[in-house]
Amino acid sequence: AGEVPTTRVLQLLNMIVPDDLKDDDEYEDIKEDVREECEKFGPIIDIKIPRPSRDNPNPSGVGKIFVRYENAESCAKAIKALAGRKFADRTVITTYFPEENYEVEAF
Amino acid sequence: DEAPRKRKRRNRWAAAEDNQVANLINLPTSISGNMTPEQIEAYVLNLRIEEISQKLRINDVVPKDGERSPSPPPQYDNNGKRVNTREVRYRKRLEDERHKLIEKAVKTIPDFKPPADYRRPLKTQE
Repeated sequence: AGEVPTTRVLQLLNMIVPDDLKDDDEYEDIKEDVREECEKFGPIIDIKIPRPSRDNPNPSGVGKIFVRYENAESCAKAIKALAGRKFADRTVITTYFPEENYEVEAF
Repeated sequence: DEAPRKRKRRNRWAAAEDNQVANLINLPTSISGNMTPEQIEAYVLNLRIEEISQKLRINDVVPKDGERSPSPPPQYDNNGKRVNTREVRYRKRLEDERHKLIEKAVKTIPDFKPPADYRRPLKTQE
């Protein structure tokens, strides 16, 4: 299948489960925790954490977290540094995510 | 900018060196191969099962302070020994999660083998 293409979007896996996203405060807390840690590797454009809503009760990508950096170097640093870290007692898995899919939220 | 909001609990990130379980399970935590979303899902599912199995083996089951939920009232057995200790409750929680994940993995991952120390839970009455 080859190497995963390098992009500006960091994909974080195994950090959250759908239940963690139910409560608004908890959701914002998680986003804040992610932003704070991910900013250490470079400036961030935006973060997406797919979450069920009334309009879309079953969106794709629930359980994943995506962070778009201003440049690919920051993303590469984050992928290396955050892999294997512990978040809420779960081991973080990292990889790149295609930017065009990120934009249209095809998680 | 938003007004400051009070966090419900402390930051969820552990210190960089603090992940004994990840070192023990010895599976890559950074995916460098180009996988489909289905392959990624299967990879994460398997890693979480291995992670829980390792936590149960080394008895790393009670989360650090900030991640604990409120304790239920104590329950005692006939000898007056407490049965729902923190350790027992969190171990049960992990075993339940692992059981659900293994059921899913058996259905979705070809040739999936449950961990050797996994026992299917007996029917419980609750």
